[in-house]
Amino acid sequence: MKGIFTYMKRDFLKWYRGRVAVVSALVMPAAWLIFVGLALPVKFTGNYLDFITPGILVMTMLSAGLSGGALLMFDKILGFLNKFLALPTPRSSILVGKILFITGRGLIQTTIILVIALMIGATLMSPLQYLLTYFVLFLFGVLISAFATTIALYLDDHDSYSAFSTMISMPLFFTSSALMPYDVMPAWLATLARLNPLSFAIDAVREIGAGIIPSLSVILLVTISAVILGICMSVFRRVTI
Amino acid sequence: MRNTGTDAREWDGEMTMNAIETSNLTKYYDALCAVDDLTLSINNEIFALLGPNGSGKTTTVLMLTTLLHPTKGSATVCGNDILRNAEEVRSCISYVPQDMAVDIKLTGRENVRFFADLYGVENAKDRVDEVLAVMELTDRADDLIKTYSGGMRRRLELAQALVHEPSVLFLDEPTIGLDVAARKKIWEHIRNLRKKGMTIFVTTHYMDEADQFCDRVGIISKGRIAALGSPSELKARLMKDVITVRIEGECTPPHIEGVIFVGRTGDEVSFTAENGSEALPVLADTLARSGAAIRAMFLREPTLDDVFLQAVGQQEEPHGFEDAKFRIMLRRRK
Repeated sequence: MKGIFTYMKRDFLKWYRGRVAVVSALVMPAAWLIFVGLALPVKFTGNYLDFITPGILVMTMLSAGLSGGALLMFDKILGFLNKFLALPTPRSSILVGKILFITGRGLIQTTIILVIALMIGATLMSPLQYLLTYFVLFLFGVLISAFATTIALYLDDHDSYSAFSTMISMPLFFTSSALMPYDVMPAWLATLARLNPLSFAIDAVREIGAGIIPSLSVILLVTISAVILGICMSVFRRVTI
Repeated sequence: MRNTGTDAREWDGEMTMNAIETSNLTKYYDALCAVDDLTLSINNEIFALLGPNGSGKTTTVLMLTTLLHPTKGSATVCGNDILRNAEEVRSCISYVPQDMAVDIKLTGRENVRFFADLYGVENAKDRVDEVLAVMELTDRADDLIKTYSGGMRRRLELAQALVHEPSVLFLDEPTIGLDVAARKKIWEHIRNLRKKGMTIFVTTHYMDEADQFCDRVGIISKGRIAALGSPSELKARLMKDVITVRIEGECTPPHIEGVIFVGRTGDEVSFTAENGSEALPVLADTLARSGAAIRAMFLREPTLDDVFLQAVGQQEEPHGFEDAKFRIMLRRRK
């Protein structure tokens, strides 16, 4: 438990001291919010910004998670991981520390995106709705950061990792329900979108915004996060280099 | 493919005294044999595994630090089996890889405190101050590592490794990339740790450092130990020291134990001795008493390089660059 906190604290300190990355990670989602959210002429909703904001929040978490996987890649390349693996501290706490840092950082970034959305015209929600939104984003963050960190453990170098993350981020985003509702999608896309874990998170946040408790999406998200986390933890426990 | 249960039990019973015990330790990377049937006992000494790049040094360390599983054979560290009791092994060792991994955006103190917290050291704050002082980093403890020199970074890594008072310290190429003064300092620190009773296992390819600072050396080539013993022992086994004396006038070869008269050419008389440095003054005294006028004496000691060449043979450059092998090694070393 102590190891988890120590690993997480190290990453937060390093992040805090490298301030450029704090801002740069927000440019992309903010650009989507402003240039797509405000500019796209759509007919299925009156306030497209309110529709797309959950998608952008989840997208922020997705890119925070995928870029977070690179942290482990660097720990591995630079020789930190070897030191950590030779410590008596449980090896799974390396993973959990990373998950908590990446998810925590993602939540800070999504907060900024939420504020920007409000400033450019999104509807203000109740505190409970925000709390539930954070909960859903946290679940999704755990899922994506556990997955990304474990993939980084197995890939050889940073080039392969960034190729991997580029390869999956765009298709995942476009095959989700981020940009349009299922009923305006072509049938093939709607099928894909309903299977995409991104959609579970986006739909959940959207239902929260509409005042519905998103039980089905949350159950799906909890289940899939728990399974992935379990697999990743056992991978970390058994790892040799 | 571990040893059978009975083997392991006998092993534990007999050998708990030694800090490191390996028995037929073997590692294959696919078809490439990196470590071949290594059997060693190491206790309370500075032991250097000496060999060229790719000879299996790092692989051995990785197995002993539980980062890699052996293909065959077994090993214990502080009496704990590296496969069955990996966690116990990890709690009595420290490992400093050759990459020099310290967080440059953190201060020296933060870097050491980080390890103290991971080890769950009690009174972490005092302990951190203490190891920083031991490594002579107190003045710079609150500066970011960015501003540290290579030698300071290496000392900081030693401080991290010492923070939980390990019984066995593994250092992979501890002086690689450092200047002469920094190297000397690192070795002085290592010697001091050894005096406090720590067992230190280093790998290096610097013969002179191993010769000067290590208690015992294992020369490894292609995964096999080619020679094992203290540096002086190895050199003595290889060849005796050569002493040449330039003399004016007559000289009767003296009879001194351990010194053998070889012959005389012109005014130069040659001897060989088991231990040249000790034989030199004795020989000078005896010759002087016998009435010879000594003008000069020369002593040439064999070096570990000679031992290495004798044990391993001339290192031939491979004819073709074996790309696949090289990539396997690289990948495994990450």
